[in-house]
Amino acid sequence: MTRLSLLLGLAVLVAATSVRAAELPAEIKQAGTLKLTVNSTYAPMEYRDPATNELVGLDIDLANELAKRLGVKIVWSETPFAELIPSLQTKRADFIISGIQDRSSRRETADFIDYLTTGPQFFVMAESVAKIATDLCGKKVGTTRSTAFPLEIEKWSKQNCEAAGKPAIQYVPGENSIDVRNQLKQGRIDAAVQGSETLPYAQQQEAGRYRVIGEQLSTGYQGIMFRKDDAALREVVTEHLAVMIADGSYKRILDKFGLGANAVEKPMMNAAPQ
Amino acid sequence: MRASPTLADGFPDLSQMQIAREIHWRRWLAAAAIVVVLAAIARAFANGQIEWSYVSRFLTAKVILQGIVNTMVMAVLAMALGIVLGVVAAIMRLSPNPVLKSVAAGYTWLFRGTPLILQLLLWFNLALVFPTIGIPGLWTARAVDVMTPFLAALLGLGINQGAYTSEVMRAGMLSVDAGQYEAAQAIGMGRLRALRRIILPQAMRVVIPPLGNEFIGMVKATSLASVIQYPEVLHNAENIYYANSRVIELLIVAGCWYLLVVSILTPLQMLLERHFARGTARIIR
Repeated sequence: MTRLSLLLGLAVLVAATSVRAAELPAEIKQAGTLKLTVNSTYAPMEYRDPATNELVGLDIDLANELAKRLGVKIVWSETPFAELIPSLQTKRADFIISGIQDRSSRRETADFIDYLTTGPQFFVMAESVAKIATDLCGKKVGTTRSTAFPLEIEKWSKQNCEAAGKPAIQYVPGENSIDVRNQLKQGRIDAAVQGSETLPYAQQQEAGRYRVIGEQLSTGYQGIMFRKDDAALREVVTEHLAVMIADGSYKRILDKFGLGANAVEKPMMNAAPQ
Repeated sequence: MRASPTLADGFPDLSQMQIAREIHWRRWLAAAAIVVVLAAIARAFANGQIEWSYVSRFLTAKVILQGIVNTMVMAVLAMALGIVLGVVAAIMRLSPNPVLKSVAAGYTWLFRGTPLILQLLLWFNLALVFPTIGIPGLWTARAVDVMTPFLAALLGLGINQGAYTSEVMRAGMLSVDAGQYEAAQAIGMGRLRALRRIILPQAMRVVIPPLGNEFIGMVKATSLASVIQYPEVLHNAENIYYANSRVIELLIVAGCWYLLVVSILTPLQMLLERHFARGTARIIR
């Protein structure tokens, strides 16, 4: 009898510990390294410091803090934005934290752990005549073509321009945020769209050149992308992220980049409304 | 062993004997190995993360067809511009005038010395240097209205091509025997007329193969214009996979079109070569 209860107690204990802390997948644990791939053209989320050529940014700091807690080193690699999802699929990267927005179309290939609020935002040159967002109806608006922003612009234009009988916004493609701002400076486009989380940095780099106009086109989340069959890694990272939010280290990193207002209360899975 | 019949002169008659077939087993082994590797590659493509239904659906999508048309339009126009500039630069380079000579050399140096993608980005962003362009007193326009992605790509690709083509043309002109210049001069032709009537037609025979080569290169170089938003086939394929994340599928679609175009161009080059080889005694094919 006592022997049975001892066994039962042991079984309960084993079950409890396995529930308590998710384990890193054996492969990563053994190697002691996490392979992460970023597209470093999206300051301040991830970019190369012009002075040192070091990879820096909010995502980089978050990932480093995570790695510290997981007891692993990060091996960074870089890729164009559109190649981020293939990098995850081909296991070049263990997960992707690279300013990528949680979108239902992307959930076909990956699960997102949402960790930052975001949304596309119109901005113009400081001297532009446009005052409110609907002044941009019928005008040329540029954004990075590899992102979801072209679709967001089209949707916003349908709801706010065409529905009100105004001409639709003319979308002009750009290669990346820098190219889009260059087109804006040259007058190729009348306004541009970028993720709201990148605008404080751009305005700090070129003080007084740009003016934000209107509210965010929509509200969504940036997410850490995991392979669908990689639940173990996803759970470990989510757990540690929740701890980082609770103990304030998450907020400190956001504040460092002036994005404290974009904080989330807890990590959420595939939570962005579409 | 039975003795073979002998011929009248005493040599054995071998005419009825079977020729033993040598088994080229190394050759067979190599062929088998190659077939196995190819089959493995084909199998990987068939079973990999490729949804072939997307490939077939987008192969003839309107946006892709428009892209390949734009690719060909740009390749033809940029090559035409490149040939014109190349001929002019080559003639200048061979001129006795030191100014013309060094300008042509400088042109080749500048545009061959910088990467094509850099030149395309410069043309596209020219408005940062020249906000307006025009003829003083007659006409002015905003540079961005003139320097559309189309024109930026045409100038970038065409002027760069001219630098390379000038060397091809110069080689062609040098290949024509010096006696031909002298004969033309002897009957009173000027330099330009001699070039047009005597030298260039003969040079064409030599320059067609390298020019065909360059044109095939140009068809693919137009893909660089995707970064300045010229809607050629790779740009349009990228736009599709930015939206639906089917990267490999759309790259295969674009690849098929490039291969098709190049497969059509190769025999066309042959026809052109045959045309310019008229009247030469040796036709080497």
